[in-house]
Amino acid sequence: MSGPSGISCFARGLRLSLSKPYLAVSLWLMQLLLAAALILPVSNSLHASLDRSPLADRMIGVPDYGWWETLRRTQPELLGTFGEVVEGLLSPVGIEPDAILGLRGIGATAFSLALLAIFLHAFALGGVFGTLRETSSSLVTFGREGMRRLPAFLAFTLAAFAGAAASYRWIYVETGLALQDRVEELATEGQALAVTAVRLAALLIALAAIKLLADSVRAIWVARPDLPPVSRFLMGIGGALARPRRLLGVLAGYALITTALYVLWIVLDPPAGGEARFALVPLILTQQVFVFVRLLVKVGYYAGISEALTRTPSPEYSYVAPEGPPAPSGKVETIDDVTLQRPSGGV
Amino acid sequence: MLRAKLRGAFLLLTALGFSPIAHGRSLTAPIASYEISCRLDPDRKTVTGSQVLTWTNRTTRPAATLQFHLYLNAFRNTLSTFWREHRGRPPSRAVQESWGSIELTRLTLSADGTDLLPALRFIAPDDGNPYDRTVAEVDLPRAVAPGETISVNADFVSKLPRVSTRTGYKGDFFLVAQWFPKIGVLEESGWNCHQFHFDSEFFADFGDYDVTIEAPARYKGRIGATGVRVSERETSDGRVFYRFRQESVHDFAWTADPDFRLLHDIFREPGIGDVDILLFLQPEHLAQAERHFKAIKAGLEGFGRVLGPYPYPTLTVVDPPWGAGGAGGMEYPTFVVVGTSLIAPASIQSPEEVTIHEFGHQYFYGLLASNEFEEPWLDEGFVTYMTDRVVKAAYGDAHSYLTVFGVRMALGIDVRLPLDDNRRYFRHAIDDPLGIPSWKYRGPETYAALVYSKTGLALATIERLVGTPNMDRALRLYADRWRFRHPKTGDFIAALSEVTGKDVKWLFDRTFFSSGTIDYGVLEASSVPAKPPRGLFEKDGKLSAGPPAPLARAKGYDTLVTVVRNGDVALPVDILLRFEGGRTFRSSWDGEARWKRFRVTGGPRLLEALVDPDEKILLDADRTNNGRRPEGDPRAASRWTARAVFWLQNLFDFATVAW
Repeated sequence: MSGPSGISCFARGLRLSLSKPYLAVSLWLMQLLLAAALILPVSNSLHASLDRSPLADRMIGVPDYGWWETLRRTQPELLGTFGEVVEGLLSPVGIEPDAILGLRGIGATAFSLALLAIFLHAFALGGVFGTLRETSSSLVTFGREGMRRLPAFLAFTLAAFAGAAASYRWIYVETGLALQDRVEELATEGQALAVTAVRLAALLIALAAIKLLADSVRAIWVARPDLPPVSRFLMGIGGALARPRRLLGVLAGYALITTALYVLWIVLDPPAGGEARFALVPLILTQQVFVFVRLLVKVGYYAGISEALTRTPSPEYSYVAPEGPPAPSGKVETIDDVTLQRPSGGV
Repeated sequence: MLRAKLRGAFLLLTALGFSPIAHGRSLTAPIASYEISCRLDPDRKTVTGSQVLTWTNRTTRPAATLQFHLYLNAFRNTLSTFWREHRGRPPSRAVQESWGSIELTRLTLSADGTDLLPALRFIAPDDGNPYDRTVAEVDLPRAVAPGETISVNADFVSKLPRVSTRTGYKGDFFLVAQWFPKIGVLEESGWNCHQFHFDSEFFADFGDYDVTIEAPARYKGRIGATGVRVSERETSDGRVFYRFRQESVHDFAWTADPDFRLLHDIFREPGIGDVDILLFLQPEHLAQAERHFKAIKAGLEGFGRVLGPYPYPTLTVVDPPWGAGGAGGMEYPTFVVVGTSLIAPASIQSPEEVTIHEFGHQYFYGLLASNEFEEPWLDEGFVTYMTDRVVKAAYGDAHSYLTVFGVRMALGIDVRLPLDDNRRYFRHAIDDPLGIPSWKYRGPETYAALVYSKTGLALATIERLVGTPNMDRALRLYADRWRFRHPKTGDFIAALSEVTGKDVKWLFDRTFFSSGTIDYGVLEASSVPAKPPRGLFEKDGKLSAGPPAPLARAKGYDTLVTVVRNGDVALPVDILLRFEGGRTFRSSWDGEARWKRFRVTGGPRLLEALVDPDEKILLDADRTNNGRRPEGDPRAASRWTARAVFWLQNLFDFATVAW
């Protein structure tokens, strides 16, 4: 099937995203508000521990290993088991759901907020896809479209979330547990790392497939309001299956640019070096610009997906009747009262 | 040029299996010497051996019995004490159900051939476990008189378990340790012969070892062992024979792996030693060979400078293969098992740290052969302390790291203070006192936190309290005095007391032998502009309102600082008050009371109050409260809040990335 490549769709999506920056602003505001719920407990704890401490001078620039260790130990309810959960998630075997459910402190609150973020994500995607279809749109359009599609998009999001969680459990964790002893018997650590890499790759492929299916359904859902819901859903699935390379191209572009942004951030490390590099306000601005740029790319990805699925008419949902002999045109016949026949009969 | 030729000749000789710098004579009077011939069967995972034990009763009492360690029986079944202690251990320290054993098939007196085997019985001196088979006792037909020497012949079959703890096999790799019937230590109070425990290590008398190992020819050049390789022979039926000898050691371990790559280097430093270093490395770690050699040399030099020369001609370093990490991190005389990862960033100082640590046991365990069952801190804790010093001197600060899908990645956080990576102690500070036998700690985490970390932190604290020169002199005195003997904690305390000229036992009572915590802090620090006094004052014999002229004009600041002892244990501690204008006030506090207050009236403005300003007391459980300023400085907290919010924003975005 001919059509634009995934990368060109992603490039068009980025242009669309730049032309409607309020979409990225909306996402940025949502994430900022979610994070803001934790500003006070984090800030209060840090100020209480650091403000009057002579360690504060050193900590402006670099973290102090002993200070962090003490904070984690002396205030277990503050960070809870967040660090252990992250380590578990990044381990070769993975982490059981119990560990996540056992989170405490700020880690637990962050997890709850992450669930809220998933809900808001469903709303935001309705707004993003809906607004992208409008030639003339605004923030009002974003809100209206988001609310209008919330029930359906929430269902898609939760289904995709469940699929991703199941993938993590069954593709990564369970294989990790099942292979744990066998991996130990491999000849070299290189082979063991390769096994982990294969499991990780399988998980990433599954997650990519889930994401593309979900986003395809969302895009078609918005593009074809004329169809019944089941048709729209199936058409979305079909759209993803019919254009896997193009959609993967969009996803690859998104993943590459996002990864590059993070690598850049980690390498440049703006907070390092303390005030010698960035004062507090410029630092916060730099951080928020980074988040905003990343969200522009994210909106660009969704726009790219929408472009990839709807720009070129496709047989699934753009049916064009084949050409044939012209149908006879109709004509008007005038009937006057005189010519009307009277019913016959009498008494 | 001549130097290069000599070096070439040396390498050639060592490659051929000869060590030109072998001493070949005992460094101390032997007590328990062994001649062993053994045969490795890689398919059945067994070592079949015959040994002649020559043992001398060095006590003043006759010995009517002999006691032997049969350590491999710890792996015999789930009823052994080792296995019982293993229950409930974290998965990271899980022991695989692969069984091992040691069977004595002959036990006779060499002199007259008296069969001792019928009189053999198993005992369990530590826990009375009737199913434990790791200690055996045998009655002698005639007691061994003080100073008398006897010989005992033994034949045995050792079945090795799959490596999960210290000894065993993995595929064709073998780490053969605790594998032969080993006699206990006879003390004036009787036999000291403990069972094999999960957390405990070993204790034995010095002697001379002469061991011949037979293995299939595919192991040719791939067998390393305690001591010096004195011969290598290959037979026409596809077997190789290696003979190793080492005098004045108290154990013998060996390894074999057809995949090993054997590398040589030499350490030569006047006053420390001439040492042939043999590195048995896994092929996938070849790129790290130089890092291993550099670490070994740093260890030889660092430990040697403080504790005296390394007296043996060889040091064998073994890198276990993937999946046999349980054999790693172990020490045997002139033979250490280390361990590394395929991806090992230099900044996290691994394998350097483990290599230097295990080498350090050549002193604290090897030469200073303390009882690891009863006083495990004398080896593990002292080595932890010394390793930190050696590593810091050779490599500087380490970086902490995060393991991501099995790959260790350095984080940009310096482990700045000495032994900061031993702060796990504080999580277990009150679990147990340090001074208890190794198998009696509450759990493995407590054992590790106290034996390794608390001892290390305590010694570093003591070093800072008595001064590094005094500490070094005490360590040297202790090492010289107790070399080739069995020192106890009191012997080190005596050495330190001798060097400092003070009785320092109280210091050890409060650190080593207490389960209390240490925590000093600054509770309050305020500095406010002084105000003139108010109220009624005597003036011309009458009371009148307002102060007299000399008092009416207040100047400077009124400062109040309260320092508290939050912990149970008191140690002397310094207090430093810093004022504007560069003025300071330093005071030493014995730290016994619960609090101490400093008041300055009309002085300069206080900038900060610090307790333990030189960070001497590394055992302080909470150093974040060790200082306080009258004025808060929100910059650091604000920056960290900004960082936290930023990463939370990213986290929330990540939470929606895949769906």
